[in-house]
This record gives sequence, structure tokens and C-alpha cells, in this order.
Amino acid sequence: MNTKMMAILFASGNENKFNDLTIHRTTTSMPFAGRYRLVDFALSSFVNSGATRIGIITRNNYSSLMDHIRMGRDWDLNRKNSGIAVFPPFGLNTSKEMYKGKIEALYTILDFIEKAPEDYVILSNGNIAANIDYTKVLERHIEKGADLTILCHKAQCVNSSKRVIVGRDKKDFVNDLYSVEVPSQDLKLVSLGVYVVAKDILLNWIQQAYARGFVDFETDILFKEVKNGKLLAYEITEFAAIIDDVKTYYAESMKVLDFDIREQLFGGKNKIFTKVKDSVPTTYGEKAVVVNSLIADGCTINGTVINSILFRNVKVEDGVVIRDSIVMEDGTIMENSQLSHVITDKRVTVQPGRELKGLQTYPIVVVKNKVV
Amino acid sequence: MASDKQCVAMLLAGGQGTRLGVLTKEVAKPAVPFGGKYRIIDFTLSNTINSDIDTIGVLTQYQPFELNQYIGNGQPWDFDRLDGGAFVLPPYQTAKSGEWYKGTANAIYQNINFADRYNPEYVLILSGDHIYKMDYSKMLSSHIKNGADCTIAVLDVPIEQASRFGIMSADSNNRITEFEEKPKHPKSTKASMGIYIFTWAKLKEYLIKDEADKNSYNDFGKNIIPNMLRDGQKMYTYDFVGYWKDVGTISSLWEANMDLLDPQSGMNLSDRKWIVYARNAAEPPRYVGLNAKLFNSVVSEGGEIDGDISNSIVSTGVVVEKGAIVKDSVLMPNSIIRKGAVVSHAIVGWNAEVGENCVIGEHQSGPINGEWKIAVVGPRVSIKKGDKVAAGEMIGAEGGK
Repeated sequence: MNTKMMAILFASGNENKFNDLTIHRTTTSMPFAGRYRLVDFALSSFVNSGATRIGIITRNNYSSLMDHIRMGRDWDLNRKNSGIAVFPPFGLNTSKEMYKGKIEALYTILDFIEKAPEDYVILSNGNIAANIDYTKVLERHIEKGADLTILCHKAQCVNSSKRVIVGRDKKDFVNDLYSVEVPSQDLKLVSLGVYVVAKDILLNWIQQAYARGFVDFETDILFKEVKNGKLLAYEITEFAAIIDDVKTYYAESMKVLDFDIREQLFGGKNKIFTKVKDSVPTTYGEKAVVVNSLIADGCTINGTVINSILFRNVKVEDGVVIRDSIVMEDGTIMENSQLSHVITDKRVTVQPGRELKGLQTYPIVVVKNKVV
Repeated sequence: MASDKQCVAMLLAGGQGTRLGVLTKEVAKPAVPFGGKYRIIDFTLSNTINSDIDTIGVLTQYQPFELNQYIGNGQPWDFDRLDGGAFVLPPYQTAKSGEWYKGTANAIYQNINFADRYNPEYVLILSGDHIYKMDYSKMLSSHIKNGADCTIAVLDVPIEQASRFGIMSADSNNRITEFEEKPKHPKSTKASMGIYIFTWAKLKEYLIKDEADKNSYNDFGKNIIPNMLRDGQKMYTYDFVGYWKDVGTISSLWEANMDLLDPQSGMNLSDRKWIVYARNAAEPPRYVGLNAKLFNSVVSEGGEIDGDISNSIVSTGVVVEKGAIVKDSVLMPNSIIRKGAVVSHAIVGWNAEVGENCVIGEHQSGPINGEWKIAVVGPRVSIKKGDKVAAGEMIGAEGGK
């Protein structure tokens, strides 16, 4: 372990694109893969890479995030030195509103970054599910003498979200950066919005950009830095998901039913940690039929579950059929009801005999605490 | 200096548990896995914290490393306290002497100084090899109300089983009149559960006397309790009603696991008001595959199931491959059951591997003289492709039985 890196996580982003799933939470506290939240992947990757000084920048709806993280103990982050610092929305004395973009957000915590003893900073969006070894990223970053390393992966841009495409030369230095709005089936090298950068360079960039009233870290800093030729592309070949709307949330979640993807996320020595909830093991009753599904602890299953993901403490009663769906924590699906292509948020109850059918490309979302 | 505590718990976790054979070869009995994601000791530790007793000494002796590491700073049970908490207490040397724990009473005697740091009025003595949920604070209230010197938790057992236990006879006020260890002709059905509350000053007096007696076994059941009774100390029973099971044998360990599958057994783990805590393994959710069949089973997270599982306990990280059949069995953490293997009425130890087409144990229609013939594959044992382990057979790491 080294203490060369610290990390900054941006908890918010794209919250208006989640059809109600983010009404009560920030993007990074989105539940994912049966027992996690997106933030667990970021925090675990940081900790496993020795980056234990972590600042989390939040904007709104951050109480569920605070409740999840508590003192950071479940990630071994309740340290005397370093640990987690959560930065709630913080307007500068001179500004009348909350920060507008990453540049301003970073500017408000310049002090925190400056005082930290670490020489490098990981900047990460909160909407990523991946198990990343940053020690390898840093090694290459130093070896190549880069100013900033952009983590990216090959993916299609099938949705309309603003993704940043990375062009690189033979030595992996970035020679083009641009954002796409038009959906495309082609495999492109897409930025994950995760960067490793030397601290003094970052501080300088932020001060310069803030002084000129710039807002967006990507377009106002990185796009302009391309010409200096010191941005490095680092391709992640293992599974990495960018979750930025309901469609990608659903599609990326379902990928975790694939053995290879699970191996890439959970199979290595670097574990993904999450809040410990002391659930009991799951009980499969005499009428349970479960096929190709991920089942967390604490469930009671007496119906049929196919190609689906059940989070903790879900009840599936007699005669229920759940297909291609995601049922989040404390869901109760009562007898004889049928779900297909449905995402139910936490503590949703589906009453007996109800039928909910969404589409693969447009899954139905049932809001937290609702009774259907 | 620690602040005063009304009651301090002392958990006797030093026993080897020889009757569990290969399962306790490398770990003490309280550290043996139970119920999919727990260890046996989790029940006692959780009872203690749920009873608002926040200071516990865990007395270890036999194979203590696993238990020490498991308990750690006690955080999973909320025992990481500024004042009090969980302390692992192995035997230690002092300027005058130093020796192994000779018996249950001697173990407490050697740790008088530990308890004294908290200046407790009462001490709760527990053992780490029982599966049950119990509110000790109610027992403590009863002890205080009776003005007792000693209160012994008792369970009403069927008369035909009574001769296996320490049996209490008591008057209508629950004051103990007689105590017999494993009597041939029991006079009562009140069996001691090995759970005692003592008024600390009184117990200390008897521990010191007992230590001076060269002929003593230094044992609570054999010496301390009979001595106090003989001297006319105020000793009461406390009736416990509910599920309680001593898991000292392979057969009873298997039975207690199976009780989790029976809604009538009285062991309900999912009561959120009385959570049984355990140290958590950071495992992803359980994957249930395309060919899996699951019937009346309790399954914990991690690992993949693609086989046919019925009436079984499947622990954290267990893998059951396609075509394997598991019936009426306990698969301990991270064990692997390969393709085509058939496991029936068996316990498969942690990190053990059952090879392709192996046959482990055989179907039992019921216990014989109260004992089930359970096949046991020891921890980390690998059973080679096609091999058989007979009903009631036990395979250890060196192939020894």
C-alpha cells in the first residue's frame, strides 16, 4: 500500500434522467448488483488502491448517501488520519447559488486538496460501476510522464447522454476529445469521467480556470489541454459501466448476470465492500423456482424468479413470476402478481394479482415506498 | 481505570469440542460455522449485546487464533466501545504463576483481575457452544429481585433426556434445593443450560476457596455450584422458554442447522428486534444458475449454484456445480461440490472440495438412539473424483477418519 493518491468523488450527475429512481438520492447512491450502491465500487477501488483520503462532493439529496457511508467503517475508512470527508453543497461567500460545475466545486475544496500530503489525485464521477486498480493507473501515469490520465473503455454510445469520446495516438496519448450527442452502435473509446492527475497540476488548472469564470472541467480544461499532448488514455478492459439513465441502469445491471462480468467485478483479490446490514441468509421455500438470477441475503422466495436481481430482504410470495426485473431492498411482491422488465425501488409493495410489464428498452420504474 | 459496570459477561470458549472431530481439529468449537453465515459463538455474543451487557471477556485456550481474529475488536457485534467491549482472554503468566485453564471455574479464577477492573455487582457466565436467543437482562432482574447469590438458567427437558444434563430441584419459589450432575434417576426436568449469574463478591469468595482445594476439578458443575448449595447460599433457577440447543456433537450440530429450515422449530433468525450479528464476508449476492433447483433451503451470499439443492444449508461462497445433488446437508463456507456429486445427510467443512461424481453420506430416515449418521468431510479436505464417504464416516485433512 502507498499513500500517494487521494480521491475526490462527484456524487451527483444526470439525476433528471433516472425516471424517479433518484428522487430521493444522488446518482452515486443508486443501488446496483443486488447489494451495492454505485458509491461502493468507487470507495472500494480507492481503498484497495491505497487512496484512503477521500472527499465526496455532493449537491442535493445527499442524506441517503450520508446514511450509507456513516463513518466509512465498512470500507475501513474510519481512520485517525485520512478517511472520508463529505462536502455538502457549499456556496462561496461571494456566490449566491450552489456551484455550477466541477471547476467551481473543486475550487470550494481547494484547501482540502492542498493540505493533503498525497501527490496525486483521483477524480471520479459517481456513476461508475467498476473494480479499478488505481495503483496500475498511477504507475503508467508516472512512467509516461503524463499531466493527467483519462480512464476509458470501449463501448457503444447507444443512448443520448453526453459521452466523451477519446482519440489516442500509438503511445496512448490523447489526440482528440469530443462529446457526442448522437447515439451510435459503433464501439468507441469512451471516457469514464475518471482521472488521475498530479496534485500541483490540478490545483493550478482549477485556479486558472476559476479565475476565468470557467465551469466545466471537461470542455473548459481537458478539451483545451489536448493540444499540449500530455493527457494519457488508460483503457480499462475489464467490465466498467457508466450509469446515466434508466436504460443504461437496467442494461448494465442485467450484464452482472453474466459469469465473466461478475468475475471481473468481484472475482479478484480486491473486494467490493458495502454497508453491513446483518441480514439473515435467504430462504428458498417449497415452491421456489429461481433461474439465472442474483439473490442477496435476507430474501424469502416462494415464487418464480427468472433473469432477475433481488436486493436484500425481498419477499416473493406464492404464485409470483418475476422476469427480467430488478427488485430493490425490502420489496414485497405479493401472491400471483407478475413482473416483467420492471425496476421497483426500495420498500415497494406489489399487491396480489397485479401485472406490471415494461419493455427491455423502456423498463417500468416503481418509485420508493409505493404500493402498486 | 475503567468505569463501573453492573454486570460483566464471561464467555467460556476454551473447550476443544472433541466430539466434533475434524471440525474442531484446527478451530475451537465456538468458531465452527453455523447456519449459512454465522459461527456458533455469534449467538452468545449477540445475546449479550442485545441484553445491554457491553463488556464481555471471551476465555480462549484451545486453537485460539481463528477465534481471536474472528472477534477482533468486537465491532460486528457493536462491542467496539470506548469503555468496555469484547476482550479475548487467553491464559497468561504472572510473577507468581502461570498455567493453562484447569477447569471452567479456574478459567474465571485466573481472570478475577479482569472482572475487577469493572467493579461489577454481578457476573454472567456463558458458554460459547449453544444455539439460542435469550435476554439475559430478564434473568439478571430475576437474580436481583430474589436477592440471589447465584441464578442458574434452566430449560424444561423431556424426562427421558434429563439424565444427560445437570438437573436442578427447586421449591415453589424457584429456590434450588438440590443439584445432580447427569443423574441416573432424575428428580426433576429442569436442566441447567450452563448459564449462570453470580453476585460477584460471593463468586470470588468461592473461586478463591476452590482454588485452594487441591482435590477440586475447578469446575462450576462439579465444585462451585454444589459447594455453594451445601453452604446454604441463596440459589435460584431462572426458567428459559424457547429454542436452545447444545451443538456438541456432529448429530446435534446437523440437527440445529436443519432446525433453521423448520418454521416450527422456534429458531427464527429474521426477527429484526433480536438480530444475530456476525462478521461479514464481503461477497457479492448469490448467483443461481440456469440448471439450479432449490427446495426448502437456506442459502447465503457469494458463489454460484447450478445444482439441485433440497432441505439444506448453503453457506457463504459455496459453489454447487451443474448436476450435483445436495439433500439434507450442511455446506460450510466456500466449499465446492463438483458436477454429478451426490451429498446426502452430510456436513461438508469449510473450503472442502467434493470431486465429480462423489457420493457423500446416504439418506437417513431418522436418528438411531438419538444420533443421526451424518457423513463429515473435514475443512479443506479434497475428496477425489468418484470416491465415497459412508454414512457416519468422518474424513480429516490427512485422510484420517
